[in-house]
Amino acid sequence: MFINWAQQEITLKIVYYGPGLSGKTTNLRYIYSHIDPSSRSELITLNTKEDRTLFFDFLQLEVGKIMGKKPRFNLYTVPGQVYYAHSRRIILSGVDGIVFVADSQRERMEDNLNTLLDLEQNLITMGKTLANMPFVLQFNKSDLPNTTNFNILQQRLNFYRAPQFKSVATKGIGVFETLKMIINQVVNHIQSHA
Amino acid sequence: MNLGHGGNGQSIVLTGEMYKEISEILSELASKTRARTIIFSDMNGHAITQRGVTGEIDISAMSALAAGGFSATAEIAKIIGEKKQFKFIFHEGEKNNVYFSNVGDNFLLVLIFSSQTALGMIRIYTKRAIDALTELLSSANEEEKKASQFVNFDFNKYLNEELDKAFNL
Repeated sequence: MFINWAQQEITLKIVYYGPGLSGKTTNLRYIYSHIDPSSRSELITLNTKEDRTLFFDFLQLEVGKIMGKKPRFNLYTVPGQVYYAHSRRIILSGVDGIVFVADSQRERMEDNLNTLLDLEQNLITMGKTLANMPFVLQFNKSDLPNTTNFNILQQRLNFYRAPQFKSVATKGIGVFETLKMIINQVVNHIQSHA
Repeated sequence: MNLGHGGNGQSIVLTGEMYKEISEILSELASKTRARTIIFSDMNGHAITQRGVTGEIDISAMSALAAGGFSATAEIAKIIGEKKQFKFIFHEGEKNNVYFSNVGDNFLLVLIFSSQTALGMIRIYTKRAIDALTELLSSANEEEKKASQFVNFDFNKYLNEELDKAFNL
């Protein structure tokens, strides 16, 4: 979080976390292409040759002034692949809110759990924990035929009872709902904790 | 006057007076170096302020990339056994050069300047600006303005109206 009283600006950092290929970048791409260009920056993607996220994606959103104050939201994704652990830690620095994009397909349950554990461990090294930070779960690819039953997904992944959404990021289903929820969580958290 | 580091030292609240003084130091640096663009941001990638020509440059993206790059380089320093992070990073282009340096642990200064400009001069004046900024930032006293004062409950309500508009919800 960065607040500039002189300029009446507040900038919040929201990180999309999740296993490789769960749809984090797809969320950002959808937001980028469905929001008025005057309200967003360019989408920065740092990819490998295979079009996988190497370091991070970045997109800044702005909404209109609110009581003279200018809120900005810096959205980042982390690279999901296991061996980019260092990059994930760097990007989490100064995070205000986390969206965990889980892959609803049956065979990805272990990857979801391992990445959630990796996230919690990284937060602990920063003196934080998922239990007391703004956090939203998104169960992506919910339109695919081989998904885990929604109740089981919730039981196994949403142990902190965070707000949750089923999504199909490629079609935009649940994308803006998730984003609005995490922004609300962050603002509420600032009001009650900061 | 106050620069607050809330929580675990990662939330930054900048008050009017401090912002003014930072701006003055950057203006001085801009006039001394004739750098094309100067950006001051925090290590979490939030742009704080800038000087010079910024028209074609996406400052928010630049700050995010600069912070990411600097953090990645700090990891390289660790891997090769350096005790501290590198003092600066320098990129040489055909027309423009970019000089990144950290200001304490939490801030970052980026200068974009013509490749004709002598690097030595950039280094000297940047070092002076960093010293001045470091002193200014360390003189911040503890009575920080709280972030919660910035976002009250009405803020929340109007924010949601703006989000619904922007997101077509």
